[in-house]
Amino acid sequence: MLRKRLIFTLICNGGFFTQSRNFRLQKVGDISWLEKNYGFKDLAFSLDELVILDATREGRNISEFADILSRLVEDVFIPICAGGGIRCMKDAEKLFENGADKIILNTIIYENKDLVHDLIKKYGSQSVVASVDYKDNNVFINNGMQKLAVNLHDYISYIENIGVGELFLNSIENDGTGFGYDLKTAKEIANNISIPLIISGGAGNEKHLIEGLMTDRIDAVATANLFNFIGNGLPDARRRIISNNGNLAQWQ
Amino acid sequence: MKITIVDYGMGNIKSIIGALSYLEVEEITVSNKLSELVSADKLILPGVGAFPMAMDNIIKLNIDKYLKDIVILGKKPILGICLGMQLMTDSSSEDLFTNGLGFIKGSVSNFRESNLKIPHMGFNQVNINNNSKLYKGLNNLSDFYFVHSFRMNSNVNINQSMCNYNGEFIASYEKDNIAGVQFHPELSQTNGLKLLNNFIKYF
Repeated sequence: MLRKRLIFTLICNGGFFTQSRNFRLQKVGDISWLEKNYGFKDLAFSLDELVILDATREGRNISEFADILSRLVEDVFIPICAGGGIRCMKDAEKLFENGADKIILNTIIYENKDLVHDLIKKYGSQSVVASVDYKDNNVFINNGMQKLAVNLHDYISYIENIGVGELFLNSIENDGTGFGYDLKTAKEIANNISIPLIISGGAGNEKHLIEGLMTDRIDAVATANLFNFIGNGLPDARRRIISNNGNLAQWQ
Repeated sequence: MKITIVDYGMGNIKSIIGALSYLEVEEITVSNKLSELVSADKLILPGVGAFPMAMDNIIKLNIDKYLKDIVILGKKPILGICLGMQLMTDSSSEDLFTNGLGFIKGSVSNFRESNLKIPHMGFNQVNINNNSKLYKGLNNLSDFYFVHSFRMNSNVNINQSMCNYNGEFIASYEKDNIAGVQFHPELSQTNGLKLLNNFIKYF
């Protein structure tokens, strides 16, 4: 049986990992802090996949981000999806070379469709994930700062037609609140989409993860909530979901 | 132990190298040079991307000819991963009909069912063949990470282990010195590390 996936999203900002709330970023610690305090490699054994995003807004440096990526993924044996600020082929190459199995794209999907086509051609659709940030029925790009004049459903059709392999759907309104996923929108999208769907934004506890995982045609749930899930939070949640017959992979 | 990853310009090999170093393989090289492939104890044929383009690259680099000598005549152990597994079959109908390396009887085609989500992506369970060496020490229905849009089938016995995604397809095959896995052991947590270790130990 195809399992559903539990994904953790690490948000990186100027070399620091951050907690995001409605897209406002709060720095928590750097990579040494993450390794020291949270035994990151152990945590990775509770995950199906890891998303690493560079949300640096000023003075973004893809090489610095690639270094962090490369250090993070050492001895982590799950798929790694990396992105944030990819604007050209070279940016993508850099991330693939430093440990990414997939790249996640947002702004350029709107701004440079040709580049997305080229990336799909070179790396395959399964390696290209489209990230969509939305609030109500509106779509935002550039770290949630620029609102597009197209509604969410039309934008998602546009994305599917480009031929990306997966959709990462992120609710700006629920982001970082810990109040739970926006399942209402997620369900509407899930019913009309033919590629795997990851939902993100709002998970604050185990119950929220389960709600998402139990929803038909939602393939994966993601959380970026460092405070609530890192440490024992996620391993415990995974164990309990599995012992309650949740459809997650098991490793020996 | 020296393992050489066959380089034909496609596939994310960093994670394979990472897994092999974690398993303490002494020497890991990435190459398409005949001398390198000959001197390796075992080979890994990786691959992500489209079948026709991969075969194109392999033929351009002459790998098809000497790989056949090394693997079929020389009996050097080889593990194909994902597209690498598919490339060792007879043919694929991805985009257009393309001949494969022909080491293993079988062919590759698309998932036919219309409302199925493609790619088949995520961990899925493998129904393990009783004669398997690859899965030694792993329980039946162990989970491995798959990501592919085309799948392999065969009507002969190649010690196949099966996976189900709205219909059965081959998750792995093991025939003499040749093994192939549709999933990515290097991305399949401890299950995948065990499988890679079994390839190193038993092939």
